[in-house]
Amino acid sequence: MVETRSLSVQSVLFNNAPQDISRAGLALANSVSWARQAGLVGDWTLHLGDCSDVPVFDDGHLAELLSAVTQVGGRLDHTVFGRNLGSAAGHNALATRSTSDLLLILNPDAKLAPDAVTALARRVDGTVGMAEARQVPLEHPKDFRQSDGVTSWASTAAALTTRAAFDKVGGFDSATFFLYCDDVDYSWRLRLAGLDIVYEPAAAVFHDKRLTVTGDWPAGSAEVYYSAEAALLLAYKYSRPDLVRDISLRFKKNGEPLARKALAEFERRRAAGELPDQIDHMHKVGQFVGGNYAKHRF
Amino acid sequence: MPNTGFDAVASKIQHDSTFVGMLRTRSAETNIDPGLRERLDSVTEYLDRVTDVDRPFLSVLLRTQGRRLESFKDALLCLTSQTDQDFEIIVLEHDVTPADSQSVRKILERLPPEFLSRLQLIEVVGGGRAKPLNLGLAASTGRYVAVYDDDDVLFANWVESFKATSATAGGRLMRAVTANQKVSPEPWSDGRAGFRSISWPRPEYPERFDLLQHLLVNHSPFMSWAFPRALFFSYGLRFDEDLAVVEDWDLILRGSLLCGVEDVPALTAIYRRWEGGSSSYTQHSGMDWKTAEQRVINRINSSPLIMPRGAMESMRQMVLYNTALDGYRFLFAGTSLRRPFNSMWNLARPGFNFAVRLRNRLRRIRQRTGESQGSS
Repeated sequence: MVETRSLSVQSVLFNNAPQDISRAGLALANSVSWARQAGLVGDWTLHLGDCSDVPVFDDGHLAELLSAVTQVGGRLDHTVFGRNLGSAAGHNALATRSTSDLLLILNPDAKLAPDAVTALARRVDGTVGMAEARQVPLEHPKDFRQSDGVTSWASTAAALTTRAAFDKVGGFDSATFFLYCDDVDYSWRLRLAGLDIVYEPAAAVFHDKRLTVTGDWPAGSAEVYYSAEAALLLAYKYSRPDLVRDISLRFKKNGEPLARKALAEFERRRAAGELPDQIDHMHKVGQFVGGNYAKHRF
Repeated sequence: MPNTGFDAVASKIQHDSTFVGMLRTRSAETNIDPGLRERLDSVTEYLDRVTDVDRPFLSVLLRTQGRRLESFKDALLCLTSQTDQDFEIIVLEHDVTPADSQSVRKILERLPPEFLSRLQLIEVVGGGRAKPLNLGLAASTGRYVAVYDDDDVLFANWVESFKATSATAGGRLMRAVTANQKVSPEPWSDGRAGFRSISWPRPEYPERFDLLQHLLVNHSPFMSWAFPRALFFSYGLRFDEDLAVVEDWDLILRGSLLCGVEDVPALTAIYRRWEGGSSSYTQHSGMDWKTAEQRVINRINSSPLIMPRGAMESMRQMVLYNTALDGYRFLFAGTSLRRPFNSMWNLARPGFNFAVRLRNRLRRIRQRTGESQGSS
C-alpha cells in the first residue's frame, strides 16, 4: 500500500549563482513529478531561504523557478533572511514555514536524478528517520550495511527526513553548529531516539564537487574553519573528552591558523558556558573513526 | 614578397593541427617551388575554412548495452548536470535485449523535457564495439565528438573545460585528466543490480599527453577526449570496426598523430574499474586483445608518421636511454620482462609502487608547504 505524503523541500542559499539554483530547481521539479506519479508525494512546496547579503534572485530567475515548480503542482516559498544564519538555523527556520509530512534537506545547487525523490520516499517510513541520497560524481565514503543501507549518519547535501522525526528531536542544533556536522549531530540524535539512518544508493544526486588534477580535495577556508570547530563541538557534545583533548592538541601543534582559530572559539565558548549539554554518555551512537564520523570504505 | 621562413610560421603552427602545421612549415621554405607552395597553401586554406559556428559545441556518443542500468542513469545525470549544456547526446543502444531496451527507454522518458530535445536514440544490432560509434558519428552534428561509456562518471566541468580549451586548440584533439575509481557490483536493498565505490578516485594516468608513451599503451580513457569534427569529416577517419577491443587506442593514436593534442588542465571524469562483474577485460580473451593491439600497431607502422612539435627532444632522449640500456637487453622479450625477471619484478612491484606513491605524496606536501609559506 503506497502512502501519499506531503513534502517540503528546503534549501538555504548563500551567494549562489541564480542560474545554478534554477537548474537544480528544474531537476527537483522533474524528480518530484515522478514521485507524485508513483503516488508517494502529494502536495509539495519548495522553500528557499536566502542568507546572502545581496539576495540571489532577481524577478526573472524567480519567475523561471516558480514556473518549473507550479507546472508539477508545487508551490514556491522564497524568504530573504537578510543575514547568514548558517545551515542549521536556516533549515530550522524554513521547517517552521510548513507542516508537511516529509522534509527534503537539499543543497541549493544539487541536482536530483529523476527517480531520486521516489527512492528516498520509499525508504523513509516508521523506523527510518532519515535517508541520504548517493552523491555523484564523488560518492561519500562512509560505510553502509548492504542489506538495508543502515549507516552512521546522513549528509544533508540531499536527505529526506520525516516531520515526526524532525519534531521528535527538535530539529538541528543551531545553537551549537553553524555549518558543518549539524547533519551528523541530527542523525545521531535520531538514532538515540530509536530511529535508523539509511543510505539509499538508488537515489542519486549530482553535487558539483571537483578535484584538482592531482586528485586532491581543494578545501576552502570556510570548510577548514567550520569543520575544525564542529569536530571539537561534536566530540564534546557526544561525551568524548579524550577526543577533545587530542583534537585540541593537534590543532595547537599543526600550525594551521584556521584550526587554531577554531580552537580559540571553542575555548571561548567553554569559558562562557556556551557549550552544549553532553549526551550519549554510553557512546551508543557517536562514532569517531580516524577523524571521521563513521567507518569509511576508503 | 611572401612572408616565408620557419620563424614566420613558428608561432602560427602552435595552434594548428600537426598536419596543417607541417603544410605551413613546408610552404614557408624559402626555396620551395612556387607551384607547390600554392597547392600546399590551398589545402591549408581549405582546412582553415571549415567553420562550424552554427553547430552544437559537442556531440556525446553514449554507448550502452543496457546491462548496467543504474550506472547508465548516473551517466545521464552527469550530462544533465553539466555547467555548459552546449551539446547533443546520441545514445547508442548496442545489442540490447528487448526487456533491457524497454528499461533504457523508460529511463530516458524520465529525463527533464528540455534535455530530451537534445537527445537521440540509435539502436545498433551486431558488430563490435566500434560499430555503434560510427553510426553515432554519422548522426552527430557537433564541432567536437566525445565518446562516453555508460558506466563512467563526469564532473560538472567536463564540457565547460573542453570548450574553454577549444579556444586555443585549433584543429587538435583535446585531452583532459581522468581519475580511476574501483567499483564493486552488489545488489541494493530493494534488489536492483547496483554497485558501491570502494576507492577514492585517483588520477593514475599522466596529467599531460605524451604521444610516445601512448605508442606503447593507451594512457587515456575514451571520455578524456574531444575529437574535432574535421578528424572524421575532413580527414575521413572512422572507428575501426574490425577491432574487437582497443578501438579507442586506435583512434587516439591515428588522430593524435595527424592532428596533435591540446591538454585540458582539469580533472573532468572518473573511469570506473569494476572489481568483479563483466567488462571488456572479462568479455574478451587475451588473444582478442593481442590481435587487436597488433592490428593497431601494424596499421600505423605501415604508413608514414608525422611527429608533433616537441617530439624531437623526446625521441633523442629515448634513443639515448635505449643506447644506455642496450647492455640490459637480455632482460626483455619484446616489450615485457623475460622470465624469471618478470616474476622477480612482480614480487618487487608493490614495494616499488609504494615508494613512488610516498615520494609523490612528499612532493605534494613539500609543494603545499612551499605555497603556504609563499602566501603567508
